[in-house]
Amino acid sequence: MTMKVPTRVGRVPRRVSFASSRGPAAVATLVLALLFSAGDQAQAQGRGTAGPQPPRATAPIDMTGYWVAIISEDWRWRMITPSRGDFPSIPINLAAQKIAEAWDPARDEAAGEQCKAYGAPGLMRGPTRLHITWLDDDTLKLETDYGMQTRLFEFGATSPGTAKPSWQGTSAARWVMAGGGRGGRGGARYGSMNSITTNLRSGYLRKNGVPYSEKTSFTEYWDVHTEGNGDQYLVDTNVVNDPVYLQLPWITAIHFKKEKDGGKWNPEPCDARF
Amino acid sequence: MNRVTVARVVMMVGALSAAVVPASGQVDLTGSYQTRMYEDYIERGPGEFMGNYTGMPLTNDGRAKALLYTSNLPSTYERQCLPQSAGVFQYRPVGFRIWSETADDGSVLAWVIGGDNLRNDIRIWMDGRPHPSPNALHLAGGFATGKWEGDTLTARLTHLKTAWIRRGVGIPASDLTTITMHLTRREDLLTITTIQEDPYYLSEPHVVSRVWQWNPRGTAADRPICNTANEIPSLEDTGIVPHYLPGQNPEEDYMIRTFNVPKEAAMGSAETLYPEYRKTLKGIYKLPADCLERAPGYCCGWIETQGRPGGAPNLTCNDGGFGTLGPRGRRTATER
Repeated sequence: MTMKVPTRVGRVPRRVSFASSRGPAAVATLVLALLFSAGDQAQAQGRGTAGPQPPRATAPIDMTGYWVAIISEDWRWRMITPSRGDFPSIPINLAAQKIAEAWDPARDEAAGEQCKAYGAPGLMRGPTRLHITWLDDDTLKLETDYGMQTRLFEFGATSPGTAKPSWQGTSAARWVMAGGGRGGRGGARYGSMNSITTNLRSGYLRKNGVPYSEKTSFTEYWDVHTEGNGDQYLVDTNVVNDPVYLQLPWITAIHFKKEKDGGKWNPEPCDARF
Repeated sequence: MNRVTVARVVMMVGALSAAVVPASGQVDLTGSYQTRMYEDYIERGPGEFMGNYTGMPLTNDGRAKALLYTSNLPSTYERQCLPQSAGVFQYRPVGFRIWSETADDGSVLAWVIGGDNLRNDIRIWMDGRPHPSPNALHLAGGFATGKWEGDTLTARLTHLKTAWIRRGVGIPASDLTTITMHLTRREDLLTITTIQEDPYYLSEPHVVSRVWQWNPRGTAADRPICNTANEIPSLEDTGIVPHYLPGQNPEEDYMIRTFNVPKEAAMGSAETLYPEYRKTLKGIYKLPADCLERAPGYCCGWIETQGRPGGAPNLTCNDGGFGTLGPRGRRTATER
């Protein structure tokens, strides 16, 4: 008895021979081999390594569609532009404080940098809608109507390479399968997306000039929760690490509600003042 | 193979498969978690500005009731030890502990979120028991059942008591309020999303998402006995219940006076929670004066306005409570 047993994704399938095995041990070995290999496969896909199926096909959650930010937290700092110096709750250091206290939107406009508050770490807390689609089998595209920005989540090994730093940077993504990669029982598939964004152009964490540097890394964990009434929420737990302007990582969670279509999609260009 | 052998094989494989394939989820949530006050800092730290209901989808009834509130009310004897709402931990400046209660066979009967002396424990039953009759006893911690959805524990709380659902501003919930909670732990970070509904005081679900950090020294689980004291001597033996009469709350326009926040937003209405609300503000909203041009700490909440540190040891306005930018956490004049 000879059969192909799928092993860790990305390796050449090995042949396991049961020809010389007989009886219960052979049956048990076969079943266990299948159990472990299935687990390995799911785990490997969860790690985002190359696999027989592309990330689009193995997605444990569906993030696509239109989502709207519910500004139920930090309203004064997110929905409107706060005054200069109004930067509580972001663990900035004194160097950042000096920069924030010198914030001048007119200067940003003159420099053509009115999108400084629309870089990924600041943008996600903005009053925005998201439109998430698959660009191809390996790339998830996130667009915002607030500031008309586009970020690409690239599954598999991603290196910024020689790309120029940008507002949305370079986002490497992977699926994290629930249950340590072995999936759930009963056919349900659960998990989340983990992304790390680097290669960012320096910008603002808050619209009133609270800075982050080009050395920032932006880690996000994306969950989708479906309620009993069918409502869906996308929760973006995120950690901003900036060795230049933060004393400690800035850790928040941002939630979005799914909308049935793009009827309220309202693209607006970057605005340094409002 | 004879039948006995086959049966043994099936049993062996079954037992082994149960061992190697974990049930969906079942993440160990046990531990102490420390708050990270990087969201809604003012409310969670020094204390919210009165009359600030931004971010809340209040009904007219909810708003009217909130405006009757004065912070003297919880200072009355009979209210000093009242446990707070089950969902208020999302607005509290303290951490909590999570532990499990197990059956004799080691299976988890319930997850418990506790360790906060100002509210009841939330006991999330995992054994499949049904919610009791609507007429059953309501508790401050409510009655909760949970299930794993992948690595997320989802709980539903019912049978709650009427309580203030945010900290220090009087926003009410009725005893028919319900809360859905999603708890997702990743290494040392715990994200909790709560979705609260109320048929009387909320016009749509109130959604909050927070992150907590596992820390074995993050919180004490002690629940000291609450002792009442005479906090407002002038009220002693008067029988007065502190309140504002309808239309007489002097802080109703505080957010307009201070931060140019439009009244409909300050008073909490659902339409102000969504990006399209900005269309009504564009061209009208005026940037408030710089914080530095006003009194020190003006943007940082009332405690700093009064010249004290930000409400707790080493807690400052801009560091979420974890930096020490100066003596006792307060920036010095030269650092400003």
